[in-house]
Amino acid sequence: MAEMDELVKKIMAQMQQQNDAPTTQSTTASAPTTAPTKELDASDYPLFSKHPELIKSPSGKGLDEITLDDVMKDNVKADDLRITKETLQYQGQIAKNAGRPAIQKNFARAAELTAIPDEKILAMYGALRPYRSSKQDLEDIAKELETKYNAPICAAWFREAATNYESRKKLKGDN
Amino acid sequence: MKRQKRFEELEKRPIHLDGFVKEWPEEGFIAMMGPNDPKPSIKIENGVVTELDGKKRADFDLIDLYIAKYGINLDRAEEVIQMDSVKIANMLCDPNVSRQEVIDVTTACTPAKLEEIISKLNFAEMIMAAQKMRPRRTPATQGHVTNIRDNPAQIAADAADAALRGFPEEETTTAIARYAPLNAIAITTGAQSARPGVLTQCSVEEAAELSLGMRGFTAYAETISVYGTDPVFTDGDDTPWSKGFLASCYASRGLKMRFTSGSGSEVMMGYAEGKSMLYLECRCILITKASGVQGLQNGGVSCIGIPGAVPSGIRSVLGENLVCMMVDLECASANDQAFSHSDMRRTERMMGQFIAGTDYISSGYSTTPNYDNVFAGSNVDAHDYDDYYVWERDLAVNGGLHPVQEDDIIKARNYAAKAVQAVFEDLGLPAIKDEEVEAATYADTSKDMPDRDMVADMKGAQDILDRGITGVDIVKALNNHGFTDVATAYLNLLRQRLAGDFLQTSAIFDENWNVISAINNANDYKGPGTGYRLWEDKEEWDRIKDLPFAVDGKNAKL
Repeated sequence: MAEMDELVKKIMAQMQQQNDAPTTQSTTASAPTTAPTKELDASDYPLFSKHPELIKSPSGKGLDEITLDDVMKDNVKADDLRITKETLQYQGQIAKNAGRPAIQKNFARAAELTAIPDEKILAMYGALRPYRSSKQDLEDIAKELETKYNAPICAAWFREAATNYESRKKLKGDN
Repeated sequence: MKRQKRFEELEKRPIHLDGFVKEWPEEGFIAMMGPNDPKPSIKIENGVVTELDGKKRADFDLIDLYIAKYGINLDRAEEVIQMDSVKIANMLCDPNVSRQEVIDVTTACTPAKLEEIISKLNFAEMIMAAQKMRPRRTPATQGHVTNIRDNPAQIAADAADAALRGFPEEETTTAIARYAPLNAIAITTGAQSARPGVLTQCSVEEAAELSLGMRGFTAYAETISVYGTDPVFTDGDDTPWSKGFLASCYASRGLKMRFTSGSGSEVMMGYAEGKSMLYLECRCILITKASGVQGLQNGGVSCIGIPGAVPSGIRSVLGENLVCMMVDLECASANDQAFSHSDMRRTERMMGQFIAGTDYISSGYSTTPNYDNVFAGSNVDAHDYDDYYVWERDLAVNGGLHPVQEDDIIKARNYAAKAVQAVFEDLGLPAIKDEEVEAATYADTSKDMPDRDMVADMKGAQDILDRGITGVDIVKALNNHGFTDVATAYLNLLRQRLAGDFLQTSAIFDENWNVISAINNANDYKGPGTGYRLWEDKEEWDRIKDLPFAVDGKNAKL
């Protein structure tokens, strides 16, 4: 898998360059005009057939604006085919109300991560691997998650990891 | 000693080539309830777990900390730890106790408690329990689609072939890692060309696997490994927190994922800490639960040789599948690694999961002959298809596959190979020649395929990544070459990411993109007359009954 590691390194390097440039990533979701008034549950599932009106692309396109014709006319970009924060929250409600609260927690973290570019979250994942980061490195990512990406749940995840990595010797230099 | 002739004959049987070892608990060579396994216990003070399975919080490793915080329903934990494990074992196989009633108890268990409950069940009771506890009502199975030369036309053709036989999930990997994007594109294109709605994955290194999904080359991932001891987890280059974060990364891109674990991995990696395989596996299962991941591939998996070598090991492996279901996780129940030289024994290996029915009985079944299986061979392969259909027909069990007509397969393989040929041409990848399409259509293994310029392919694969090609480009490529139906199917797969319905537990799609999961197809088994019964699923039962090599009395010339 050495080749793939190299590939990831390369992606990381590209990410670094992009980070040096001003950020233009826009993940503003659609206007919540159709937001449901109650929590969703199994009776609202699947969203695709029962609530297509709730499903939007990150740029606000509805499913009916993402057809083969739209793709061929270049009206659909890869970024239009990404799940939104809102949809993950809906699926989280469905999971919780079907008795699976842990899935909702995962989707809550995921909802925050929709705002973060691919290369960036790959790098954040890398930083959580054992012996990669100092406590300060993890704290810096937590701050960035909070301030730049409005991701307090993930920030707390990094801080919790930092505390546990310190006491259980998984920080940079502990190996 | 003068040899007794019958003993000499027996020694020639294939079973004698298998490896067996006597129990050796200090090194983890014990299936369950080892002498060093902890006794179940839990103490909670002010909402914080201060003791778990006999260990004080100060001595918790990262796995204990993680499970204690996120993996156990603490509301009932102290009550459940006091319950008689025999009673809980009875609830599991008593059809009068509903799945939900059991789940309420078993999601509040510690790892040692789960192990103790399993130890009370015999193999037949485990089958009874698994039939009730699997999350999805309708069983299914998963296929491996690989070849040792990473030939893209063959991958596409085999993916199509497997899709027609009923696999709702297909997994590829690479012989040479650099081929990953090509193999991913080939399996997804091939599967969609034959049966829209099949989910596809490409098993490679963790971060690379996520990257393939983000680009729209795959739909889900499964090789996100977790381990039951801290040193092995660290050797695997992760922590529970990094794996939990990775799980969220997948969900954030609308990609389905499950974790992988399995008995024997800690022994294999040399740090079982003197604990039994099932105890360590129960820790893995709760790490998965704690991460909020919807499912797990477990049951020995690639380390099946280790539990397979010890007494009660194959029973314990069904037990670990059952624990996965008991904490309400999708279970892809292994049966995916060649481990026995004996045909009788490899059949025995999968009988538990096959008879009970699981979310994916194999994970996966080799859809090529094992010669081409890059996962080092599966327990069952393409040359076992007809045997497998007969098992299903004999026992009236839905094992997830059904017989196919030769002419349908020839058509589907040809169409898939042509579709991926078009994608390669459109994306400027090294051409797939017509003779390769023809060979892939009729091939059994990669021995039947012409050579490709592998250096050029690898450069092409890197080029795809460098140019930032995505699933949208593949949709366009297919449509540009007249494969409008395949383009539509590929686009539908990408559109499903927006809805996220297939992120829910045990989700697969039918050919009309209807999602089938534990939410809308929840297992409702409550004894005879309830739950999934093959003969009530008329269309599938007709396909299985209609064995192409059965004599049709109406047409027979007597």
